[in-house]
Amino acid sequence: MKKTLIFAVLLLLSFAGAGFAQTIADDVAHKASRMSYYQGKDGRSSVKMIVTDAKGRAREREMTILRYNIEDNGDQKYYVYFHKPNDVKGMSYIVWKHAGKDDDRWLYLPALDLVRRVAASDKRSSFAGTNFLYEDISGRGVLLDKHELASSDENYYELKNTPEDVSQVEFSYYKVWVDTKNFIPVRAEYYDKEGRLYRKIEVLAVENIQGYPTITRMKAEDLNSGASTVAEFSDSSYDLGLKEDIFTERYLRNPAAQWIKG
Amino acid sequence: MIKKFFIILILVVLFQALRPETARAGSLVFHGFAEEAFGLRVADDKLTKHQSYNMAEQRLQLKTQYNFDGEDLFSRWQGVFRFKGDFTVDEYFAGKTDFELRDANLSFTPAQFMDIKAGRQVLTWGTGDYLFINDVFPKDYVSFYIGRDDEYLKKPSDALKFSFYPALVNVDFIIIPYFEPNSMPDGDRLSFFDNFEGRIAGTSVDRRLLSPSFQAENFEYDGRVYRNFGSAEAAVYLSRGFDKIARSVKDQTAREMFYERQDVFGASIRGPFAGGIGNFEGAYVRSPEDPKGDNRLIENSMSKLMAGYEKDLGGDLKVGLQYYYEQRLEYGAYKAALLPGDYVQDEYRHLLTQRVTKLYKNQTVMVSLFNFYSPSDQDGYFRFSVAYDMTDAWKLTVGANMPWGESDMTEFGQMKENKNIFLRLRYSF
Repeated sequence: MKKTLIFAVLLLLSFAGAGFAQTIADDVAHKASRMSYYQGKDGRSSVKMIVTDAKGRAREREMTILRYNIEDNGDQKYYVYFHKPNDVKGMSYIVWKHAGKDDDRWLYLPALDLVRRVAASDKRSSFAGTNFLYEDISGRGVLLDKHELASSDENYYELKNTPEDVSQVEFSYYKVWVDTKNFIPVRAEYYDKEGRLYRKIEVLAVENIQGYPTITRMKAEDLNSGASTVAEFSDSSYDLGLKEDIFTERYLRNPAAQWIKG
Repeated sequence: MIKKFFIILILVVLFQALRPETARAGSLVFHGFAEEAFGLRVADDKLTKHQSYNMAEQRLQLKTQYNFDGEDLFSRWQGVFRFKGDFTVDEYFAGKTDFELRDANLSFTPAQFMDIKAGRQVLTWGTGDYLFINDVFPKDYVSFYIGRDDEYLKKPSDALKFSFYPALVNVDFIIIPYFEPNSMPDGDRLSFFDNFEGRIAGTSVDRRLLSPSFQAENFEYDGRVYRNFGSAEAAVYLSRGFDKIARSVKDQTAREMFYERQDVFGASIRGPFAGGIGNFEGAYVRSPEDPKGDNRLIENSMSKLMAGYEKDLGGDLKVGLQYYYEQRLEYGAYKAALLPGDYVQDEYRHLLTQRVTKLYKNQTVMVSLFNFYSPSDQDGYFRFSVAYDMTDAWKLTVGANMPWGESDMTEFGQMKENKNIFLRLRYSF
C-alpha cells in the first residue's frame, strides 16, 4: 500500500517534471521564433546569397526583403524584390504568411506585366534555388512541431523538434541550439527518416541593430549533395513605419522606390 | 521603322529635358541579354519561305531605368523612366535587322491614391494561363508558335494608364490611341488556313488586313475594378476597342479583312481552392458592328468562360488544368445569313489545357509541358521545353511546338504544318 502510494507520488512528480520541461521547451521555441522572424513592428534587409555546389561552382542571388508583422508569432507579410541574377532582376514577390493555413503568394513578372498567383503548399521547397527553404526565410510555425528540451547549459538550450504531421516534411526531427542570452537559434540539424543527419544551418554572425540582436550571416548545408549557401544580411533596419499597402498588387507592379532601389 | 525612330528620338529628348541637372552626370546602368535562337521544322514545309526552319535569329535586349531623385516635380512624384528595346537580326528574312521598342514609359505617383504610367508598355490582366478572355491587349502568336521566350507572347502598347487606389476598390483605366493588332501567322514564316484560298497556305497568301485608322473615335479604352476579399481576388473588366485578330471580311473579291469593333464586359475571381489556386473568368464579348448576328461577314457576339486550377504537389512539381468554353450568341441569325459555299463557323468551342512544371538540380533545370486539347475541334497543341541555367548568366532552352488537328480550319489544326523543335542560348548581363 505504502509502496503503491510512493510509486503514485513519483509518477505524478515525473509527469509534473515532464510538463515543466515541456513548458520550457515551448517557451524557448516561441522566443526563438520571435527573435528570428518577428523583431520590431517591421523590417527591411538586403540579402546576398551565394550558392556553392559540390564542384565549387558558385551562383549568386541578391534581393531586398521587406517584412510586416500582423500578429506576434503569427501572420506576417513579406515583400521580396530580386536584384540578381540578371535574368530575374526586377521580379518581385509578395507572401502573406498565415499561421493556420497555406500562405498567399504572388509573383510579378515585369517582362509580361503579369501578376501570377503562386500555388505554394510545399513550404519545404528551395527558396530561389538556394539551400535555404521557404520555411527558413519566413519561419516555420511553432505549433507544427512538438518541442522537447534535450539538454541545456549556460550557453545553449538544445531543443529536439518532432513534426506533428510527418507527411508534410522531409525530416523525422530536427535539433536547434538556442542562445540562452538572446534566444537566437544559432544552429539547426535535420535528421532524415533513417535518423541520419543530412542538413545543417549555422548562424555565423549576429549584430546588434537598433537594440535588436540580428543575424547578419548564416549558412545552410545540404550534406547529401555537398552544396551549401551562405546568406549575408546587410542594411538591416527595424520599425521603419512600413505601410501595409506596400504588400499589395500596386507595389508589386511598381516597387516602392523609398525602400527598394531598383 | 521611321515612326519607331521618331518615337525613340522624342523620348530621348523628353527624357533628357526632364532629367534634373545633377543627375545628368550619373550614367544609366544597362542590363539585358544576347540570344541566339534556332527553330528547325519537324517536317519539310513547301508553303512558307524556308522549308527546313522557321526561326534563325540573333537578339540583343537592352533595358535600363532611371529613378527621378532630386527636388523637381517628377522626383516628388517618385517618377521612374523605364526603357527596354530589342535589336534583332533575322536570318529568316535574309538577315533583316530590326529594332523593337518594348518599354519606354514614365510612371509616377501624382497623388497618394493614384499612379500614372505613360508611354510604351506591356499590359496584362486576367487569370488564365496562355488563355485570355478579358486580357484584350495585343499578343504575338508568331513568337508563341516558333518558340521564342514567353516574354514575346505579349506585345507592347502605346498607352496611358491611370491607376486609382481609393479605400474600397482599386481601379485601372487605360487609353490606347494607336491600334496594335495581334501578330498572327501570315504565310511567310507560318502557314495557316486562308479562307480566300480555301486551304492551308503560305507565301501564296494575298490578302489585306485593314486596321482602324488613327483618330479619336478609334481610341481604345480598357478598365478594371478589383479588390481582395481575404485571400480571394475579384475583378470586373470593361473594354471598348477592336478585335485584335482580323476575323471579319470587308471585301471578299479584294481579299480584305478587318478588325471589327469589339466590347468586352467581364469578371474574374481567383483564390485558394482545394489545396491549390482556383480561378474563374468570363466575359460577354459584344460585336457592335453585327449586333443581331445576321451579317455573315462580321464576327458574332460571344460569351467566353474559363475555369482553372493549379496545385503544388511538392518536390518542385506543379500541375495546372484549365477548361475554356466559348459560344457564338447569335448563331441562328448567322447560319440563316450564310450563302452557299461559305465556310461555317461552329457555335461552340471547348478547350482543355494541362500544364506540368518540374524543377530539377536545385531549380536550375525547368521541364515544362503544356498541352491544349479541344474535344469539339478535334485539335490540339503540345508545347514542351527544358530550360537549363548553366550559370547565372548562361541559359540554354530546348523545346518543341506540336500543333495538330484533323481539320485544316480549326485554330490548331490550321497550324499543323508548322511543327518545330527549337533551341535558344542566352547570355544575360
